[in-house]
Amino acid sequence: MSYVARGYGGDRRRHGNYDRREDRRPVETEGQRIQKSIFKLGEAAEFLPSSELPVLAKTLRLSLSDNIQSISEGFRTGVTEEPYKIPYFSALFTLLLQPEPDEDVDNTIQELVQSVFNELCKSFQTSLDKLAWRDLRLTIHFFAHLALSKTVSASSMLDLLQSFLIVLDEPGVSYERSQAAALCVGEGLIRAGPILYQYNPTAAATIISTINSSFESAKSQRSLTRPVVRLHDMDVSGVDVFIGALLSTLQTLDESSFASLPPCLPQPHSLFPESNISLDIPAFIVPPEEIELGRSADEGTRRKELMPAARIRLFDDEISPNPSSPSGFIIRSTLADTINIFEVNRKECARIVLELPRWFTWGTFKEKGRAGPEAAVEESAAIMGWALENTILEVTLAEFALLPSPPQTLVYYFALITDLCKLSPQTVGPAVGKSFRKLYSLLGEGLDVEIARRFAEWFASHMSNFGFNWVWKEWIPDLALPAFHPKRCFIRRVIELETRLAYHDRIVKTLPEAFLASEAKCIHETPPGPDFDYDDPQHHFHEPAQSLLNLIRGRSQIDEVIQLAETLRSTIGDTVTLAPETSPDSVVRSITMQILLHVGSRSFSHFLNAIERYLPLLRSLGSTPDDKIDFLNAAGKFWQRNGQMVAIVFDKLMQYQIVDPSDIIAWCFHSSDRREASSEGLIGLQEWDLIKAALDKAIGRVSIAQQRVNSLRKEEEDAKAKVKAGKAELSVDTMDVDSTEANRARDLESNHKTISEALASALKAYSILTREQKTALARVLEGFVTALSVNATPSISLVIAADGWDHRVDWTQVQWECWETWGWYRHFCRYYAAQLKSYAVTLESGPLAKVLTAGDRAHSGMLVSEIWTVALGRGVNM
Amino acid sequence: MAHVVTPLDVPSNYKDSQSRHNRDTAELLAKSTTLYIGNLSFYTTEEQIYETFVKCTNPEEGGGVKRIIMGLDRNTRTPCGFCFVEFYTHAEALAALRYVSGTKLDERIVRCDLDLGYTDGRQFGRGKSGGQVRDEHRQDYDAGRGGWGAQAQKEEKLRKELYADAVDAPGAVAGGGGNWQDRNRGESHRNMAAYNS
Repeated sequence: MSYVARGYGGDRRRHGNYDRREDRRPVETEGQRIQKSIFKLGEAAEFLPSSELPVLAKTLRLSLSDNIQSISEGFRTGVTEEPYKIPYFSALFTLLLQPEPDEDVDNTIQELVQSVFNELCKSFQTSLDKLAWRDLRLTIHFFAHLALSKTVSASSMLDLLQSFLIVLDEPGVSYERSQAAALCVGEGLIRAGPILYQYNPTAAATIISTINSSFESAKSQRSLTRPVVRLHDMDVSGVDVFIGALLSTLQTLDESSFASLPPCLPQPHSLFPESNISLDIPAFIVPPEEIELGRSADEGTRRKELMPAARIRLFDDEISPNPSSPSGFIIRSTLADTINIFEVNRKECARIVLELPRWFTWGTFKEKGRAGPEAAVEESAAIMGWALENTILEVTLAEFALLPSPPQTLVYYFALITDLCKLSPQTVGPAVGKSFRKLYSLLGEGLDVEIARRFAEWFASHMSNFGFNWVWKEWIPDLALPAFHPKRCFIRRVIELETRLAYHDRIVKTLPEAFLASEAKCIHETPPGPDFDYDDPQHHFHEPAQSLLNLIRGRSQIDEVIQLAETLRSTIGDTVTLAPETSPDSVVRSITMQILLHVGSRSFSHFLNAIERYLPLLRSLGSTPDDKIDFLNAAGKFWQRNGQMVAIVFDKLMQYQIVDPSDIIAWCFHSSDRREASSEGLIGLQEWDLIKAALDKAIGRVSIAQQRVNSLRKEEEDAKAKVKAGKAELSVDTMDVDSTEANRARDLESNHKTISEALASALKAYSILTREQKTALARVLEGFVTALSVNATPSISLVIAADGWDHRVDWTQVQWECWETWGWYRHFCRYYAAQLKSYAVTLESGPLAKVLTAGDRAHSGMLVSEIWTVALGRGVNM
Repeated sequence: MAHVVTPLDVPSNYKDSQSRHNRDTAELLAKSTTLYIGNLSFYTTEEQIYETFVKCTNPEEGGGVKRIIMGLDRNTRTPCGFCFVEFYTHAEALAALRYVSGTKLDERIVRCDLDLGYTDGRQFGRGKSGGQVRDEHRQDYDAGRGGWGAQAQKEEKLRKELYADAVDAPGAVAGGGGNWQDRNRGESHRNMAAYNS
């Protein structure tokens, strides 16, 4: 290398990196080493609990007196971050209390272990204060396993569960809180059941019935969150929800008097003698729901509501465990916790879940080549033996498909599955393929529109990571279905998304001939480019458009361009007779918007540049909602073949405040010109995406304004306090108006004034934006009410009737469009339930008052109202 | 939480040698809304990048893709395999580190890193020949980065012209739109300033 000088080229970088890495390498303290030895438990190639646990216990005992903190921290970390190891952590803890006969330990060992236990209870209290439900639940697992080995007393264990059970009886308790508390109690009972049943045979039954009765009331919402929809059937008795699965599990165990643990759970404690020292869990009280200081009452409008959710099943009970069975419940909840905990590192998460069989009893999963267990549970192997990869996929997708929204960002699940495939392509690949096929088969059988949307996103994203290889020919026969059949919509959507992620020619190459035929309507013949209406010399407005285009292309001064646009507005009608109901202004708006998009059509940045430079021009041309519809029409037409660009352009037009969210919503419900819809106001996925983007923009603005108000309030209080303090100082010290103190006091006062003014204007902005948010929500609701009730046609009524559904093979395009619109209405109500709730009064006296509940359209109208009522959690009689 | 595994959303130890902020780098990164994206194909478009990163946005919290700045060869004004993606919020940048970095974009595994924020001139490669430094030293054949495959040939012309208008001047890169402003208070001139800042 000839570049000797420092600071040049790759060599320096490499060198620099090396240096920094050296510097950064943390020196591990003894405490960290001990913590690590605990949570790394069992990670060596072979894990033999019967010998490893006592050895580790002995090492820990030897360092116990100086490392109470580190050891308890090691347990805490392990328990709350590695739920699959909890039985082993409990066994390890129990062993701490059992010095080997030849061991030279003083007799304070019991006190020391008690101190570790106290520390763990302290951090349990910290979790309680924060209401960190998952940490609480997993620590309860730990306590429950300790109860099994009699290290903690059965009585204190039961008291602990009961202190959580009380939550279910709190008046007006939220669904989220009661579900979290019920899971703490229920999962604790599953694990500590055998010992608790011995201690108090009736306690379990009481717990079960309390959980059961407290969830009766939340039942109706299930009809909105079931993954496979029956519009005509709001009855949900057969819908399998999470709490339902917990209850069936508990009932199954109760029937056998909790005689044994679920067979998948390892019982390492049984390898060792029971403890002869019994610790007591102190009494805990679950604090009331946190009301954050400084959080105003309407902040709740930003929160997502947790609804009783049903989880989707993809495979049979022989392939993946039934969620309502004891082992199935445990495996699924462990997997779901693991997926949520390791969201910070999907690669590690993929590795850990693929290694999960190691932490369950042998035979839980079908396995090749893993050494047999120490304590064989052969009898259980017969009923278990599930397929690991399918189970992982099913649980991941059940989380991903949760309604109204999944616990993590959607793309996390995509990335996790990609990493699973990378780690073990031979085994995960087929499970992914089966999941695709199963989900696909549910399209048209009622798969919720929102889940179908997520599925298409996942499918396309997965394909883009794996060379766009799919056996498309499997789906050729489905091209004969009506154009808006969910399968056809899905195929179109996937091809569109793949094209966005790659490019037109690339995707064309992956598709069989049948998909390319123009009648298949799957993909355009040419790449999805722009359509600049005024480019055609034959166009009426070609000339005026050219004159404006030339100015803009030549980067003329904005004033000059505005001037020309003004002139066009007054002259454009002179040469060409305008179509009826078209104004010259409207023509100029359309021409201008298309010209700016044309100039900016080369890339996203070019578009931003073009729009940003001519914002004053756009503002000078339009201000009313109708004007804005002209802009949106022009933009929608310009990018009619490219849904992505429509979304981008609309998003930025909102960002630059050229149009408002409610303008876009209005545009979306005027769909019949663009879609082949036969009934005005029906919407498909593209419209829904735009509507959602508009609503989210309105909600996001309120959120930003809220944060600004909060921080200014705090600043204002501080400034006020300072002024006060300054004045106090002044009056004591001096009366001289020119003193430094007096000057300082004046500065403080003027600072306070500035902040107060800023706060006043922030509050004003907040109130404007809140109003706009309400307007946007009302506009969407009105759109749905109009499409589904006011304009209801016989075809709309048909799709919500039981016999209509049963004859869906005969449905035409319109009926499937209706069905999809109903789907988006349901999703709107459940996804924005929190916001809708806070404006319920206005919305019910506004858009909802137009719902027709009598006459031939009564049936549709009643369903519109029913979905609304259920989404708002007001339970209806069913 | 991150005791058992290392999170993916920590910034790398790359240091911009030409950056003017030296002291508070860590503090700036802790708020950064900008990502550097590396190992792009020279043919990848801003729209492909947008489609990939928009999945990490959270519009309900005021988020979104603010702008994308394509990395260009200093001499030829053609994409040279990197870009900056600017979000509205820091959380979105972190989400991209966790979920997108290390996955494929346009069939190449891309690498994301938190960045101190775009400043004028940074869109240009710093290699001796105008591209990225890494391509100066690259020994292997890489069709996506200036190789001469069939696809490359076909798209070469388009690629060459796409950014021919890129200028190296302050304010030449669009801002992407700022926060909502009350438009009835005669503040439009201030808005413009904010957009261009």
